[in-house]
Amino acid sequence: MSNSAEALSMPRQYEVPASEPTLSYGAEARLLWWVRGRILAASLRQSLETARLRVSLVVLLSAVFWYGLFRLFGGGFEFLRMAIGDDITYGQTVQAIYNVFFASLMMMLVISSGIILYGGLYSSAETQFLLTTPIRPERIVLHKFQEAIVFSSWGFLLLGSPMLVAYGLQADAPWYYFALLVPFMGAFVYIPGGIGAIACMLFVHRLARLRRHLLLVGAVLGGLALVLIGWSMMGRTEGNLLTPLWFQEILGRLRFSEHRLLPSWWLSSGLLEAARGETSVLGRASWAESLLFLSLLVSNALLFRVIAVAVGARIYRRSYSELHTDRARRRPRRDFWLDRLVMRATPLLTPQMRLLIVKDLRLFRRDPVQWSQFLIFFGLLALYFTNIRRFSYDVNYTAWVNMISFLNLAVVGLILSTFTTRFIFPMLSLEGRRFWILSMLPVRRESILWGKFLFATIGSTVPCCLLILLSDLMLQISPLVLAIHQLTCVLLCTGLSGIAVGLGARMPNLREESPSKIAAGFGGTLSLVISAFYIVLIVLMTALPSHFYVATRQASLNPTWVTAWLVAGMLASGLIGIAATIIPMRIGLAAFRNLEF
Amino acid sequence: MIEFDSVTRRYGEKVAVSNLTLQIPRGELFAFLGPNGAGKTTTIKMIVGLLRPSSGTIRLCGHDLVASEGTANRFLGYVPDVPYLYDKLTGREFLKFIADMYGLDRAAAAPKIEEQIDTFSLHGFVDDLTESYSHGMKQRLTFAAALLHDPKVLVIDEPMVGLDPRSVRLIKDLLRAKAAGGQTIFMSTHLLAIAEEIADRVGIVDQGQLKFLGTIDELRTALATHERSLEQLYLSFTAADGTSHGDNGSDVSPRQPAPSESDAP
Repeated sequence: MSNSAEALSMPRQYEVPASEPTLSYGAEARLLWWVRGRILAASLRQSLETARLRVSLVVLLSAVFWYGLFRLFGGGFEFLRMAIGDDITYGQTVQAIYNVFFASLMMMLVISSGIILYGGLYSSAETQFLLTTPIRPERIVLHKFQEAIVFSSWGFLLLGSPMLVAYGLQADAPWYYFALLVPFMGAFVYIPGGIGAIACMLFVHRLARLRRHLLLVGAVLGGLALVLIGWSMMGRTEGNLLTPLWFQEILGRLRFSEHRLLPSWWLSSGLLEAARGETSVLGRASWAESLLFLSLLVSNALLFRVIAVAVGARIYRRSYSELHTDRARRRPRRDFWLDRLVMRATPLLTPQMRLLIVKDLRLFRRDPVQWSQFLIFFGLLALYFTNIRRFSYDVNYTAWVNMISFLNLAVVGLILSTFTTRFIFPMLSLEGRRFWILSMLPVRRESILWGKFLFATIGSTVPCCLLILLSDLMLQISPLVLAIHQLTCVLLCTGLSGIAVGLGARMPNLREESPSKIAAGFGGTLSLVISAFYIVLIVLMTALPSHFYVATRQASLNPTWVTAWLVAGMLASGLIGIAATIIPMRIGLAAFRNLEF
Repeated sequence: MIEFDSVTRRYGEKVAVSNLTLQIPRGELFAFLGPNGAGKTTTIKMIVGLLRPSSGTIRLCGHDLVASEGTANRFLGYVPDVPYLYDKLTGREFLKFIADMYGLDRAAAAPKIEEQIDTFSLHGFVDDLTESYSHGMKQRLTFAAALLHDPKVLVIDEPMVGLDPRSVRLIKDLLRAKAAGGQTIFMSTHLLAIAEEIADRVGIVDQGQLKFLGTIDELRTALATHERSLEQLYLSFTAADGTSHGDNGSDVSPRQPAPSESDAP
């Protein structure tokens, strides 16, 4: 049976004139801001009415965390001033730290805002709803872009603000340095956010037309370029660690971050000008110099905003349709070696639990937002660890190297904690409206939670232990410290998984479908703060005795109290690790048992 | 009001909608029937602007949906099968949001909102956050929002899902009244009885192809002539082997009725 091919010609009298009322650009913006304001007010009101203790706890812990970072950065700047000695080299070093710090954050912000915007523009129920309304597509893009900026930059504010305030106080900066911090940071984050947004839309727009092998070739070439850049940056140094020659060499290699076209350089230069508080050699007041850099940042931020909006107006609707065509076309493979491996490697678990783990593994694998962030950050760490050996050091610096190895461990733990908060904590919440499926299965609820815990633990332990092993091999760490690192890493992975899964079950948000919003909520913030404390505690308890142990051995001393301290530290961190796993899991299990759907 | 001109929509090799040519005039309530995966939701997503046709054109109130880049959506009211509401807004705030979005004058919007609250009996919960609503409550609020700006075209995906019998009756009467008042209604449903009861014309789609197109009277005639139930008729059009047959085994071609008297603006 064929379709009728009868001629169609709808009488033109049915055409409705296009002069129907429609909103102006400003009215659209005000309307969406009004919705945001109402949502924020309702969320705050609810939290203050029903969870005052929780809110207070999160605020308090966040403040303590911020203060800890502030003290750490303050101490770091003080140490540098003392270690370097002369003011000129110190000034250059601070400029280099600012440049590299903001250049790294800029790259991370481009990636994270692009990934968050991808989820917001192409996978959220809200945009699907808004696209069926008369709201202009560019307004939807801007609406989600602003959201992505907030979600991707809160970590930047949490990390950056204590460093900037600490430097300002240490350098005795004038008041306007502190007053300019917020506008500088706000204008800066808009630029990488805009680049990420434009890249995201263009990529999705072209995605349907690119063949898979072309994408793969592009990814491999990109990875190789990254390795080459890293290799050239981290070539072996001639000077020994922390010597003046070493400092000069390192400063020379970081010159790339001083490129005049980098927004991160504008930011660091503007802030350092403001901190200087003196009149420049050109006769301009430092605040005026600083405002010049701020205006440069603001004008570029606005430029990228305009480009993002123009790209959105032109291709967003089309790319949305194209992506959903492409998604529907792809049929995932039914049989995958990793699923088979997990099923075979876990014979002690019940079949139901194994199936639940494989289900979570499949969801992870099929969600590019999750695995791409995992690959990018752990890939960058692997690149850094691979090159770490190229920093020269002699035997006198063994204690320093030992410290660096523990700092690497802490960094892996901190990055892992952001992943457990971002992806593991929301796992139970994301079951949301599908919970009835899980609750109808012939599986005890405990098994569901333990399944998620095992998935998180195994999934994090394997890459993290490999990364730490790589770092230790490159640093030529002694076998004893290497073993301590591996044990500590297992404790970190287990504890962080326990915290994320347990708190995720205790504080689920079954109505929210966006994992970034769940993670940015009170429960997610609490999970992140507790995770950070846990990492610091575990690393300190193993690093300090280990440091003294290595130092005394190097000095041919072998006091028994150091060995006893090392053993006690390991035992205590083991006990804390068990507690950090068991306590949140017990709390989560109790809450999950009583959870009503 | 809605015109499909040789519309085809592909997902790679798979053809979800094949060469669909159809016009639904003003004041008609059109029911789109078909089994799961037949292409109903894809068709609806194309009308509301979420997907673009691979080929062919769709016009809404005379505006090409692709060329107009979504501006035709201002004439549209859409009730999806899974309603989307902002959890942290109250029902009243959501209605206000919709009224503002469609540019309704403030003075005109307030009585309109009250009217919808009355029509859909939302009084008991309209000032609560929507996160506390049941599916049926959400569905009623979504209907209220979709009709708030008096759209010229109403598109509904599975309208009766999750509604209690009283609400079902209300929706049926309302849809008939809206069609009588000149609104064009495109409704996808699995419920043959509802289509039989309220639709002016029925399209049966299977594997992306329109297998039957005709008025309810024509369908009833076929039913009476051959003593077959509507369900049997539907099943024969959507046979599992992909073949479709009329009552005596002959093919049934979709027919395009000429715009009737009810088409007059």
